[in-house]
Amino acid sequence: MRLPEVERGSSLGNRLLIRFISTVMRMRLPDAARVAFYHKDFGRPIGAWTHAAMRGSSTWTIGERELMAAMVAKWNSCEFCVGAHSAVAAKQLARPTIDQTLADYRAAPITNGLRATLGFLEKMTSHPADLSAEDARTVLRAGVTSESLTDAIAVASAFNIVTRYADALDFAIPSPSEFDRAGDMLLKWGYRS
Amino acid sequence: MHGSTRPDHRALAEAVRRAVLEAPAATTPTLRQAVAERTAGGPPTEPPYDELARQIGDAAYRTTDAQVATVRTALGTEKAAFEVILAAAVGAGLLRWRLAMQALAEANDAPS
Repeated sequence: MRLPEVERGSSLGNRLLIRFISTVMRMRLPDAARVAFYHKDFGRPIGAWTHAAMRGSSTWTIGERELMAAMVAKWNSCEFCVGAHSAVAAKQLARPTIDQTLADYRAAPITNGLRATLGFLEKMTSHPADLSAEDARTVLRAGVTSESLTDAIAVASAFNIVTRYADALDFAIPSPSEFDRAGDMLLKWGYRS
Repeated sequence: MHGSTRPDHRALAEAVRRAVLEAPAATTPTLRQAVAERTAGGPPTEPPYDELARQIGDAAYRTTDAQVATVRTALGTEKAAFEVILAAAVGAGLLRWRLAMQALAEANDAPS
């Protein structure tokens, strides 16, 4: 973490909360949660949008949305977010499906709608200025509705924000077992700060 | 989760823009907006903010300790540096939101 105040907490209350949750989780509280506790009024709407995109009503399952988040993280080379969101996705989807999707979503055993949507999200993440109506039509022709594509775009937008501050702040990378434990918390509580 | 009310993503995106780029905070809205515009493909802003903003927009995973430390020193507090980092990230995210929703709207206006 490049800003020590974010890591340790900006008030006595925050520091005690970070210590308490770390004790209960039996691990260092991940930096994503420390950011959520820091300067809360400023960043709270990011958490609100992320929570709505990831846990709000949608035709996409929670597992599919967590997989989208992990894919955005992969395209942005954000190691922390790949680990965090593939761990949550693995609680809803088969681990081999997640690993195959991360390796090559075009050949992975996922629905055609999700595959087409990931194609759109990849271009949106890596070459946003090249996005065209035809890219959206390709997704719609795969049977994805406009509402569902909007939901996926919201997931990718939120994680094009989160991955950037995660890497700019240099989030510490938990171990696989710590990601798994943190995944239980994310599944239960979501992303609101 | 399949509840009955879909989130209003346009309103949620707008709330992010207002809170991070317009609301009173430790840094000026002018600085945060300049940084966000930079990561959304806009013109360079003033040093030392420009280098960090460009880095976060193009390849945040290559951000260095020095890039963050320089901005923190220039602003005087960690809270202010935190605001600049979030503003840069939000600029890149909201650019993608706008362009993707524009592509979808055009597809719906002229389906082939």
